[in-house]
Amino acid sequence: MPDQAFEGKFDKAGAAPGEGAAPAVRVEGLWKRFGQQIAVSGIDLVLPAGRFIGLVGPNGAGKTTTLSMITGLLRPDQGRIQVAGHDVWADPESVARVKARIGILPEGLRLFERLSGRELLAYSGRLRGLPGAEVDKRATQLLDVLDLAGSQHKLVVDYSTGMRKKIGLAAALLHNPEVLFLDEPFEGVDPVSAQTIRGVLERYTSSGATVVFSSHVMELVESLCDWVAVMAAGQIRAQGPLAEVRGDAPSLQAAFLELVGANGREAAGDSLDWLGGGGNGGGGAR
Amino acid sequence: MSAMTTSTGATAPAASSSVPSLTSVFVHLKLSLLRNGLKQSGGRTAVYIVSIVFGVLFAAAMVLGFVLLRGSADAATIAVLLTGVVALSWAVMPLFVPGGDETLDPSRLVMLPLTPRPLVRALFVASLVGVGPVLTLFLAFGAALSVAHGAAATVAAVFAVPLTVAVCVALSRALAAANIRLLTSRKGRDLAMLSGLVIAVGMQAVNFGAQRLSRPGGLAALEPAAAVVDWLPPAAAIGAVDAAGDGEYAAAAARLLLTAAALAALVYWWQRSLVRLMVEPDGSTIGASPGGDAREKSAGTGLLSRILPGGRTGAVMERSLRYMWRDPKTKAAWVSSLAIGLIVPLANAFQGAGSIYWACFASGMLGLLMYNQFGQDTSAFWMVAQTLSTTADAYAELRARALALLLVTLPYATFVTVLTTAVLGDWARLAEGLGLAFALLGAMLATGAVVSALFPYSIPQDSGYKNVAPGQTGLAWISIFGGMLAAPLLCAPVIGATIYLHLSDQDSLLWLLLPAGTLYGALLVWAGLKVAAPRTASRLPEILAAVSKG
Repeated sequence: MPDQAFEGKFDKAGAAPGEGAAPAVRVEGLWKRFGQQIAVSGIDLVLPAGRFIGLVGPNGAGKTTTLSMITGLLRPDQGRIQVAGHDVWADPESVARVKARIGILPEGLRLFERLSGRELLAYSGRLRGLPGAEVDKRATQLLDVLDLAGSQHKLVVDYSTGMRKKIGLAAALLHNPEVLFLDEPFEGVDPVSAQTIRGVLERYTSSGATVVFSSHVMELVESLCDWVAVMAAGQIRAQGPLAEVRGDAPSLQAAFLELVGANGREAAGDSLDWLGGGGNGGGGAR
Repeated sequence: MSAMTTSTGATAPAASSSVPSLTSVFVHLKLSLLRNGLKQSGGRTAVYIVSIVFGVLFAAAMVLGFVLLRGSADAATIAVLLTGVVALSWAVMPLFVPGGDETLDPSRLVMLPLTPRPLVRALFVASLVGVGPVLTLFLAFGAALSVAHGAAATVAAVFAVPLTVAVCVALSRALAAANIRLLTSRKGRDLAMLSGLVIAVGMQAVNFGAQRLSRPGGLAALEPAAAVVDWLPPAAAIGAVDAAGDGEYAAAAARLLLTAAALAALVYWWQRSLVRLMVEPDGSTIGASPGGDAREKSAGTGLLSRILPGGRTGAVMERSLRYMWRDPKTKAAWVSSLAIGLIVPLANAFQGAGSIYWACFASGMLGLLMYNQFGQDTSAFWMVAQTLSTTADAYAELRARALALLLVTLPYATFVTVLTTAVLGDWARLAEGLGLAFALLGAMLATGAVVSALFPYSIPQDSGYKNVAPGQTGLAWISIFGGMLAAPLLCAPVIGATIYLHLSDQDSLLWLLLPAGTLYGALLVWAGLKVAAPRTASRLPEILAAVSKG
């Protein structure tokens, strides 16, 4: 399936960015191999600014690898990446501009877990060169909004999954980035924390900032995002406004299964004919 | 539990012909786990086989030692005390290998329809299978052998040996089950991290004790202790064998009964803990509940942040200093560096063979802490990498880390040097000792910064013993040994000057080595940071990948 171009498709919500405005992220011919395995095979991706963007795909599609390369945590084998108009892998000045403009919440990487929630925010804000008083003020507000004020003096290592995601999000938002990259921000998060995170993200994008997040929960992406990119086996299968990617399918889930070629697996249950129906099939009966 | 009981009762009659007993299921499970441990990798198999060979040799040597001990006046004292020590190590073992035995983890059994009594019986028999119980059996056998004189003693030994092993195993299991909340909580896991350190310090204590006891008449000092341990199960069982041999049949019987009673009490305690554990949350849940302790603190981040400079320097120093205390891995590294850095020069000085130059050992040990700086961050290094982009950032980051280290190591190196000088009484050489120590500390920090940038490796966070992730051992060796060779070479000018001044008998100028060494050390740190900074800045993704394997 060819990548869908994005030009001229800003009909949704009317608020298209100006013609000359730089996209939040522009990726050209991006490749990454790990030994024999090709994780990302030559993708092109253009993510418009000011949108809530979902990067969806099955496990192992290359979402995390792509986000890591875009955010400067993993060196690409080949390709070019621009974030907010600045090259991520060029000279140090350009990289510095990118890093100052993005916030990230990676999956599977640790935080400095032997700091308390508040200390973690104080530390990361000061590393980013913000004045101490400003960091403390913002940290207090973020801890309040994210419902972490009661646990702010507890070590992050003792936090639950939802609390970890929230403190990670707070650290990512502390310097008011233009683009926020979140890798599976709702994975393993309870509904209450998820709703809190969601509220903060919606407020953040409504001010014109961009959120790019990866997920494999289609209902979530469908309800949150106005722009999606579908990834499978290291390639972009579709990208564009939500309505367009969904097309005629009844839901994003259906469109997604179609795109990644996962339809027609329902028949796999034939061999489980003993399962259910009153338990008249074998040894476990009583 | 009652619902579960009925369900087992209902299935049992139909399946009794083919279903094996719970005990044999658990014993087979234990054997499979032991076998699968062998299969995992070639290296592990080799280690396992080597440890079995050593274990067998050790057991044989132990039994032989006890046989040789037979007839000696101290035989009973040694046999009883050694049994006590073994029981003690069984008691603390759950701390060192938390969750080490999967068959015995009650949280894995909680979904099965099992009643407490057969469950405990099965678990108990299964836990008698393994290398530890077999070694203990050999020890108990040897201990009994060393004191068994006569038929009555032999009869007592037949009961005493299995009782000893059973009490040791039951003690370990009962303590583990009763303290499972501590052991599975973060604090318990932190303690386990420090266990490597406990073993190192314990070995020193044993070494020291052995030296004292090996003096003539040294063993006599143990007799009062042995008199007490003699009545404590499981050592009481060995005491019973000795008593039976001496014809004190009542005392022997009392000791055996005491041990049997202890076994019954331990198993009962274990069973009660298990029943309770099956229906209660484990420690990990309790720690994570929100709003547990919300101690009110000021909005700022405390005393440290007020003393330290602002910006990256202060933030990085503060984090490094906090980690020395809070992170078990970092703490273990610090404590061992501080302890060894103090013990080696002082021990040498006390033995009269020392010299002021041994004080440099402290500099070397403390300087090692600068090595693999980013590996100490674990994959949380991404938070640092995200804020570094220029060489200047990287320089500030490395300098702050070096400063945090210096805050502790500089006074400590001074302290060790002064103390060593005091013990030696050689105050005339204090200045040159300090100069050399500072120069070496500078060289270690400089090489540490450079190898941190060039050869980072992961430090596994889940093990108290492993300090290098699998596959990165080579990197770690290059980094540590390369640095340790380079540091003295870098100090060559100061060392050369010292030798020259001594050889040319210009002792009046030796004080010059203090300012010269300090200055030279500072210069080395500066140069090391300058070399390391651009390499750090340009290798951020590679460093992150290297430190994220643990």
